[in-house]
Amino acid sequence: MNILVTGCSRGVGLEICRVLLEQGHTVYGIARNYTDGFKELAIRYKDSLFFKSVDLSVPAEIHRQVFKEYVTNRIVLDGVVNNAAMAYDDIVTNLKLEKLETMYAVNVFAPMMITKYAIRNMLLHRKKGCIVHISSVSVHTGYKGLAMYASSKGALEAFSKDTAREWGELGIRSNVVVPGFMETEMSASLTQEQKDRIFRRTSMKQATSVRSVAETTVFLLSEKACSITGQNIHIDNGTI
Amino acid sequence: MEQRVLDIVNVVLENRSKTKVNNLSPDDKLRETLGFDSLDLAELTVRIEDEFGVDIFEDGLINTVGEIYSKLG
Repeated sequence: MNILVTGCSRGVGLEICRVLLEQGHTVYGIARNYTDGFKELAIRYKDSLFFKSVDLSVPAEIHRQVFKEYVTNRIVLDGVVNNAAMAYDDIVTNLKLEKLETMYAVNVFAPMMITKYAIRNMLLHRKKGCIVHISSVSVHTGYKGLAMYASSKGALEAFSKDTAREWGELGIRSNVVVPGFMETEMSASLTQEQKDRIFRRTSMKQATSVRSVAETTVFLLSEKACSITGQNIHIDNGTI
Repeated sequence: MEQRVLDIVNVVLENRSKTKVNNLSPDDKLRETLGFDSLDLAELTVRIEDEFGVDIFEDGLINTVGEIYSKLG
């Protein structure tokens, strides 16, 4: 499969790339920065891993930068993983509009524009492709300080469900992976005590496995998941 | 150009198991005359853009074949 992965340079995005590459797929990665972790993969999979630096906080540039100059119509796209996201952690009374707008550009508008052009690629090639969005458990379980961030992920979940309904008759699927708290740079600003408190809320009392999130994402992209669309798949150690 | 548009229209009709047409008139309506639904129109847009580099729906709805010709002209 040819898969476009955003936010490919670290955390769960990097792990999704790793699982895809291990299974012999080709990955078109997008991120702002080229990291050491990504470089390691790029050396090992030099023929099947590609990278382009794109700033997804400017969604108007996505058409040109991603789909005209990188994943063009000559590439048959099998799937997309909209993983790139930024956190905006504060209480609601401190909300800053400018920060909110930047976060929505990256977390909502960019994945929507990428979905638009990915579906266009799939239409051109009559491909029964698959879109996977990476959300967050904070959409479903409240956390102090995450109202703004969770709202952006909630928007993405709604977008996915309706995309699934709209394009299902052409075999194009859309699903959401909903991870619990993982030990990634995204949650690096939390203290150990804050993390422990979050983990105690889960059935399994620990951080969500990044590998499990990545494996599930790749499963959803695969033919094995051909009857799964419009779903939110929770991988959160049982945050119930 | 008009022949290429006819070919593309027929590719879309064929892909959706609809009856192909022998010719197009500028007055033909995409929905009423050709029987395109919104997903057919999406595929038509994508195929025309791939061939001509023009997104015919970029600034509003297109209703007739003649409007496509003028976008591409």
